Amino acid sequence: MLKKLTVGIITVALGASLLAGCSNDKGNADGKVTLELYNNKQESIETYKGLIKEFESQNPNIEIKMETGPETIITTGLTKNDLPDLMSIGGSPLYGELGRAGVLYDFSDTDMLKKINSTYVDMIGDLVGPEKDGVYGLPYAANAIPVIYNKTKFEELGLKVPKTWDEFIATLEKVKASGETPIYFTLKDSWTALQWYTLEANIAGKDFAEKKNAGKTTFVESHDQVADKMLTLLKYGHKDNFGVGYGDGNNAFANGESVFYLQGNWAIPAIEKANPNIKLGVFPLPATNKSDQSTLISSVDVLLAMNKSTEHKDEAMKFIKFMMDEEVSQKYIDEQKALPTIKGVLQQDPSFEGIKENLESGNIVGSPEYKYPVGMAPANIIQEFLIEKDKKVFLKKMDKEWEKISNR
Amino acid sequence: MKNQKRMYLIIMIPAVLLFFTFHTYPALQGLFYSFTNWKGYGDWNFVGLKNYLNLFEDKRVLDAYIFTFKFAIISTILVNFLSLLIALGLNGKIKFQKTLRAIYFLPYILSGLIVAFIFNFIFAHFLPNIGDSLGIEFLSKNILGDKNLAWIGIVIVAVWQAVAFNTLLYLAGLVTITEDLYEAASIDGAGVWTKFWKITFPLIAPFFTINMVLSMKGFLMVFDQIVALTGGGPGTSTESISLLIYRDGFDGGQFAYQSANAIIYFIVIVIISVLQMRVLEKRGVENS
Repeated sequence: MLKKLTVGIITVALGASLLAGCSNDKGNADGKVTLELYNNKQESIETYKGLIKEFESQNPNIEIKMETGPETIITTGLTKNDLPDLMSIGGSPLYGELGRAGVLYDFSDTDMLKKINSTYVDMIGDLVGPEKDGVYGLPYAANAIPVIYNKTKFEELGLKVPKTWDEFIATLEKVKASGETPIYFTLKDSWTALQWYTLEANIAGKDFAEKKNAGKTTFVESHDQVADKMLTLLKYGHKDNFGVGYGDGNNAFANGESVFYLQGNWAIPAIEKANPNIKLGVFPLPATNKSDQSTLISSVDVLLAMNKSTEHKDEAMKFIKFMMDEEVSQKYIDEQKALPTIKGVLQQDPSFEGIKENLESGNIVGSPEYKYPVGMAPANIIQEFLIEKDKKVFLKKMDKEWEKISNR
Repeated sequence: MKNQKRMYLIIMIPAVLLFFTFHTYPALQGLFYSFTNWKGYGDWNFVGLKNYLNLFEDKRVLDAYIFTFKFAIISTILVNFLSLLIALGLNGKIKFQKTLRAIYFLPYILSGLIVAFIFNFIFAHFLPNIGDSLGIEFLSKNILGDKNLAWIGIVIVAVWQAVAFNTLLYLAGLVTITEDLYEAASIDGAGVWTKFWKITFPLIAPFFTINMVLSMKGFLMVFDQIVALTGGGPGTSTESISLLIYRDGFDGGQFAYQSANAIIYFIVIVIISVLQMRVLEKRGVENS
């Protein structure tokens, strides 16, 4: 009996040491340097693989190991001081957290920073907040939340891109009268009520969150119209707005079940995959009746960051420089249908024509969502409102939840 | 004898160690962090009982409790009723008894997530298609998208899967009852109904108790079905306590606050389980 137990223990111990051996191969015997790259974007894994291959063939002594998975990998790594050498993450609260924690390399003095559209650099600066100066990541790709439309149907119905809210509603009416579904909502997934933020930025102001935190405004005071307009849009949905999720919505829109689709540009590859023949167009949601263009929500989708205390700083920097190269960046932008952040790199897909003006003139703003207190879960409250349609209760609840989290 | 004792000890120690490291220790850690403002990473400070006090004022937490209990009570009753019924059927002298038993046990082997994803498809496509073609208004919408009906969808999936295991336990109970008893009762002129209430039910009472406790406990912790079916929506109408703790704690940066919630919830579940055992066991003894 005891003998068997000993054997068992030895087996386990051996197994453990083998596993430990696997994770311990940083300093390779053949002089090869292995860099760990964390990438939290499922959709970009294939593109990254291609780029890494190219980089490795140019730099045979560097090997890049890509890790993917939930952001908790990074947050737990942060507590253990065990961060990957390189990180490719979103311009999200996680970046703000890492920036404040002071674990990322500061790119402030590098030339690469000058290549980047400064709007996006400022945007990620907001995430870190005023406590820390410095640019801890290089915005690499951006996203946008426009109105996507089916060009073929649009032309069949003889529609024009609306410039004001009233024009937009008139267009929706026209579509409805023709018997088509105007907007395909996918509100079973609460996060898809994204146009809330476009309306907020245009109506309640880009600095709503700052004012709210300073106690200068409330949802009740400033979001009355925002809430009304959300309900108005909902009138132009299909018969089961809350029963269809994002994935099914992409397919339905791809198959021509509606003329408009309220989603970010990240949905475009999925839509085109479901129907390769579809012709798409985009325009910023005209939130108000002012004739000058509506502000478009465009946030940093991917930024490159480097661990400040990496053992292989030179090699890591080499990879970042490689990625920041215009040609490489162009490849990423093309494959991912993303929006460029690097000057001189252009998204040439004709689908994006309608938001070009916003991007070029800088009439954009980072998603207000990231300025909401972390843990507030506004999406579910908005979804509930769209079902219940009780504006008073809803706006009060938004105020209350915001304050509740901030006070915790 | 002495030797045997030592052997028991040797067998016990690894289990105790494993249990302590992976269960007791993290639980104690959770208790510790519930008195801090830790976000799950970064710096933290002690905040005393603040998290606990905030909990009692949090409407979202209260809503989660109400939903979870409504769900758990209804599901527990349904599961026990259905599985007892199925067990009685499968215990009878029927054709293909063994095959049928295996088939009824199948749902238990499948992962909760997979079952829920399949049902998600049924609710989103299959049923609305049927509803559309037959012109039944009620079926033509996805019930998971309806704030007042979504919880029923979750009950259906949870019950469908849980019945398998409880049936197995009831079957095990039914097998222990000897045929003689029924024969004697038949001679005394007892009908099917009397036989069930006077013989079957009292004799499987311990199984009834354990089934009630286990399924109640299981349903109170409902998580994966909800993640796959509604994600807590529409609104927060199907947000269970486990889901709230996980979501808010890990994604929402409220680790300490939700640790406090978890501690409270742990106490609640312990109290309920103990109460259930007490009440049901007492009744079992009285009857038998």
